[in-house]
Amino acid sequence: MIRNGRWTRRQILGTTLVGSAGLAAGRRALAAPAIVKGSKLTFWGGLIFSEKANKLQAETIRKWGADNGVAVDVVMINQNETVQKVSAAIASNTMPDALDLGLDLLLLLSRQGVFLPIDDLFDSVGKAQGGWYPAAEMATDTRKVAGGRTGLPFGITGNLLLRRNDLLTKAGFSKPPATWEELVTQCVAVNKPPFHALGLALSNVGDGNTQIGVLQAYGGRIADETGTKATIKSEGTREYLRWVKDAWDKKLFPPGNTTWDGAGDNNAYLSGQTAFIANTGSVGIAAKSQDPELFNATLYSSLPGGPKGNYSPVGPNVRAIPKSSKNPDAARALLEHLAQPEFMSAYYADAIYGPVTKAQAKFKVFDGKDAIHAGLLDLVERGTAPAYPDVYNPAFADVWDNFVVPKMIQRVVIDNWDFDRAMDEAQKQTQAIYDKYK
Amino acid sequence: MSLAVSRRSPWSAGTSQARFAYALVLPVVLLLAGLVAYPFFYAIFVSFTDRVVGNDGQWIGLANFRYLAQSPAFAAAIWNTIVLVVSSDVLKLGIGLALALLVNQRLPGRGLFRSALMLPWAMPAFVAFLTWRVIYQPIGGGLNLVLTGTGLWPDVVDWLGQRSTAMPAVVAASVWRGFPFWFISILAALQTIPVELYEAARVDGASAWQRFWAVTFPSIRPVVIVTALLSSIWTANSFENVWLLTQGGPSDATIVFPVLAYFGMQTQRIGEAAAVSVAMLPVLAILVFAGTAMMQRGEDE
Repeated sequence: MIRNGRWTRRQILGTTLVGSAGLAAGRRALAAPAIVKGSKLTFWGGLIFSEKANKLQAETIRKWGADNGVAVDVVMINQNETVQKVSAAIASNTMPDALDLGLDLLLLLSRQGVFLPIDDLFDSVGKAQGGWYPAAEMATDTRKVAGGRTGLPFGITGNLLLRRNDLLTKAGFSKPPATWEELVTQCVAVNKPPFHALGLALSNVGDGNTQIGVLQAYGGRIADETGTKATIKSEGTREYLRWVKDAWDKKLFPPGNTTWDGAGDNNAYLSGQTAFIANTGSVGIAAKSQDPELFNATLYSSLPGGPKGNYSPVGPNVRAIPKSSKNPDAARALLEHLAQPEFMSAYYADAIYGPVTKAQAKFKVFDGKDAIHAGLLDLVERGTAPAYPDVYNPAFADVWDNFVVPKMIQRVVIDNWDFDRAMDEAQKQTQAIYDKYK
Repeated sequence: MSLAVSRRSPWSAGTSQARFAYALVLPVVLLLAGLVAYPFFYAIFVSFTDRVVGNDGQWIGLANFRYLAQSPAFAAAIWNTIVLVVSSDVLKLGIGLALALLVNQRLPGRGLFRSALMLPWAMPAFVAFLTWRVIYQPIGGGLNLVLTGTGLWPDVVDWLGQRSTAMPAVVAASVWRGFPFWFISILAALQTIPVELYEAARVDGASAWQRFWAVTFPSIRPVVIVTALLSSIWTANSFENVWLLTQGGPSDATIVFPVLAYFGMQTQRIGEAAAVSVAMLPVLAILVFAGTAMMQRGEDE
């Protein structure tokens, strides 16, 4: 489709259809990197929930290779195994020419100087597509740690609040809860054990870390503004723990949520055992095929706020080019190609990602008719950078990966520790983690 | 000249034979060095560094171990690992031994019974423990349905979600998956005991209990020791059972070393994750040495 940066009639038509004249102007602004015909390129794509989207990505890359005379090897890898695979590839000097990865790994490897700076590509794609959304732009800024931008965002993920609109409307609630207190109020109205309305995970999995945003909304912070001193023990955290304990004592959480695995909340929602969950939207996709009635009864919104703010962290996914790439020009050209509206509009239609640029928000899939993508757009527009208002650094990521906040909650609700004791332990553990990075 | 040759000849032949023997053994030695010794010692080396993904890191001495030692999860992991290994092995021994003694009798359909007993071990761990997770579910889980349906226990129990039942639930699932190895090992040992020994014991008026202690147990003891050793090492290193059932929770009720190491890997701090694994070594080494010593003593006796 794209040959040496020139336009075809189909491309012009396609771009017109997605409704953005600005995109077309931007396209012309992009310089076409030199591609050596007959060269080779390896791309590692991250597998996502939608098989259709995975297939589309792999086929688009292969077609690009065929059109440009580049022998492309596309390897789609399980995103849970990216760290292990990349780790092994760095050690054995077998990194691909370009790859999809999450923010954590991008930041870590950018500090090690693993990736090529691609500031010009980042700027040109952003300019061509109406500018980057602030959450995507801020979160992927590696200039301080790598001397340049190393990741090209291509999709925003994050937790949305899924709610059973059918039950809640009957109980008199037609709007999503604006605050966490309101969420409890709505839950109390529909809670009838064994139907436990508040399906939030409090376990040692990623979903459990959603609680960090709640803690922050009550004024709690993991560390100070320098990102070096733990400040988890605070009045804000105490207020937050009071909120959790109150909801726990009201039996709003489904039993077992302190040991749920990554699919625990999904299963609880899909089996009709709960009214609210925080999820990326994959549950909605599953409901669409497994339980259309539940799908139609579900609405999506960004996470509620608290007395000290509203924090809905977004997780941008990016593409990057390792410095070890033997074909960096072709890799840049491929990344540029994958950022174009023709591919992205088709990709977003099947992937559970929010847009990264403002022009992408005009794609048909984000027109509000699809409840999941409408929720994702809401998340992108109102969402905050990861960790914000805390400083996102390796120590914060370590706190996240060690589930310090879910474990603090478990001390309160499982071990019946008082708030001070639970906060003391979390404070000590957090400081020990931050001290490792000094 | 001929005398000199005849003097040198035996020595030369011996040397030559020795060299030939070493040459034959060399590939295996190299293989072991490459596949066992190198990763083993390299992991120990890495545990003393701050290696992360993408960076070989620097030597930081005992810093990783100091960090681990102050972690509340570390002390819990030591205790939980011991509880899991000891209780699982005792139960597996009891169940495996009882079933092996039963199946060793001439019973109708015992071949089928033997095969059926091997099924838990043949099932992929992932499937087995996810099935147990479903069984333990508070709402709709099989165990609660049976207990409440039969009236044995009136209330729904959150087996994995409360401290008092989480570890017993993990132990039960681990025992279910692991007992067939004990069963088949002990059964194999039982079948090597000559029938004459039992007949002689009977003639001497020995009771069934006395026959077990005087004939059966001494005969199967070496197998039980080896099985206990292997089973302990496998259980101490097992990850799927705890991870798929509880992720180490609730709180730190079921946290064990492999899960702790996994958390270390998630932070991409390879040195720290290696330190967790190395911290397990003394415990496993004690097990190996104790097991080997017991086997040696048995042989000497």
